[in-house]
Amino acid sequence: MRYTARDLATRALWRGTSQQESHLMVLTPDFDTRPVISFQHVFKTYPTGTEALRDVNLVVPEGDFVFLVGPSGAGKSTLVRLLIREEKPTKGKIFVDGVELGRMKRRQLPRYRRKVGLVFQDFKLLPNLTIYENVAFALRVHGESEHTINARVPEALDTVGLSGKENTYPANLSGGEQQRVAIARALVHAPRFIIADEPTGNLDPATAWEIMQLFLRINARGATVVMATHNREIVDLLRRRVIAIDAGQVARDDRSGRYHDDLSKPQIRAQ
Amino acid sequence: MIYRNLRFALNSAWQSFWRNLAVSTAAVLSITLILILAGVNLLVGHAFSQVLDGFREKVSEISVNVADGTPLQTVYDFQQQLAADPRVTSVRFITKDEALAQFKADPNNVVLAQQISGNPLDAKLEVHVAKLDDVAAIDTIARRWSGVDPTDPTNYQGDFVNRMLQLSAWLGVAGVGLLAILVVVSIVIVMNTIRTAVYHRRKEIEVMKLVGATEWFVRGPFVIEGVMTGLIAASFALALLVIAYQPAVERFRADVAFIPLSYDPAFVVSLAQDLLIGGALLGALGSYIGVRRYVKI
Repeated sequence: MRYTARDLATRALWRGTSQQESHLMVLTPDFDTRPVISFQHVFKTYPTGTEALRDVNLVVPEGDFVFLVGPSGAGKSTLVRLLIREEKPTKGKIFVDGVELGRMKRRQLPRYRRKVGLVFQDFKLLPNLTIYENVAFALRVHGESEHTINARVPEALDTVGLSGKENTYPANLSGGEQQRVAIARALVHAPRFIIADEPTGNLDPATAWEIMQLFLRINARGATVVMATHNREIVDLLRRRVIAIDAGQVARDDRSGRYHDDLSKPQIRAQ
Repeated sequence: MIYRNLRFALNSAWQSFWRNLAVSTAAVLSITLILILAGVNLLVGHAFSQVLDGFREKVSEISVNVADGTPLQTVYDFQQQLAADPRVTSVRFITKDEALAQFKADPNNVVLAQQISGNPLDAKLEVHVAKLDDVAAIDTIARRWSGVDPTDPTNYQGDFVNRMLQLSAWLGVAGVGLLAILVVVSIVIVMNTIRTAVYHRRKEIEVMKLVGATEWFVRGPFVIEGVMTGLIAASFALALLVIAYQPAVERFRADVAFIPLSYDPAFVVSLAQDLLIGGALLGALGSYIGVRRYVKI
């Protein structure tokens, strides 16, 4: 029997999963095709006249793991910005969990953002707060009690393998560790979607792989993950759903795709 | 939850104030300067209004000179008629002898008093009018009275009173105008200073918004920091003004003796109140406006 790279990766992950899967486990995996994210004929033109997205149609079911790939300037970042409602579509509709983002009122936005876990290429940690405080910050912003914070933050730090570094400042951590902190912060309020914009962009390949394992574990627990990435190696190895964006349009949407569909282009194969 | 958010905002404002000490100091100093100007304006305004009140006190009292030979009963009747007028607060009858005694008692009149033979002074009714505006009307009544001395009926000087009224009105307008300009200037300065502070922390604000902070959650610490800055600046300004107030008044009195400026310790309390409330409001408003651009989600 031959295992695919994805099977191997998943097995390796489950072995590495800690025994105490705490509140994060409340997200039961549900691979049923209930769409959590759907783009319907979405156009985005910036005031400068740049057409970033043209007629994008997408459906992401709950529990899915989606790679957004494409060259720089293709529209990946715009898509991410639309998803976290930093931008509104010029035309078309975006539904997340049944709510249309374009019609969401400004005061409803904080509540929406709390349902989403965000991870960025540049980590976006607060340099003057300790690791613990950085993660706790996401809960304080929601007005959670100290009791809840004291329970959840160590758990989230444990999940990303940073127990014992609570009192360290971001500057004293490696890039990979900083990204783990950012992931812990994205996880700490048990979000249903994780949106990651180039989370491995600043990391070396080994560290990038470790970070990917974290995302896969989070996805295995049921959270939907949408990740924009340039990391061809990881995309090709994991063989998850790949949505390729090119010149503002969906060029390709493969259930179990690769970074490039054109095999003549250079790529690293999963062996 | 509100208590938790408030505690977070207070903590974060306090930390941020000390962490960005250079910017905080700049903000404190500029607000202090503005508040000193505002305080000086208030003090000068108060001093002038005291001086004006003194003048008003004097001009709102007119003396009605009684012609020699007027029967005492006529004088008493007129005194009662005036006292019954609601515009009049008090009427005092001063006999010729009393008037002379008063005249002689004044040290300015020593030389003149020695040359007086007999009593050339009129008996008079000193009428105290409640409102300065009514003095003219009372004066008209007095001039029509039969017992008034036709050569020198009253000491009322309509022109002078009118000018005083105009002057005090102008001073009031000027004071309010100056205060308004100071308020606008200071809000702009505070806004820009705090915008600098906010600019330093835009990353933090971005992260706050991305993890789902509400606008007020982001804004709260800045507004509280603004209030803190304003209160500290007000304390500095107040301390300096209180220290300088008395010596300045004394110096002024020594140099410009004809304006009876006086030191009024009671005013310090009201000044303190004004400056502290003003400082806190300025800080809060400046922060609110300064942070608005970055906080908009």
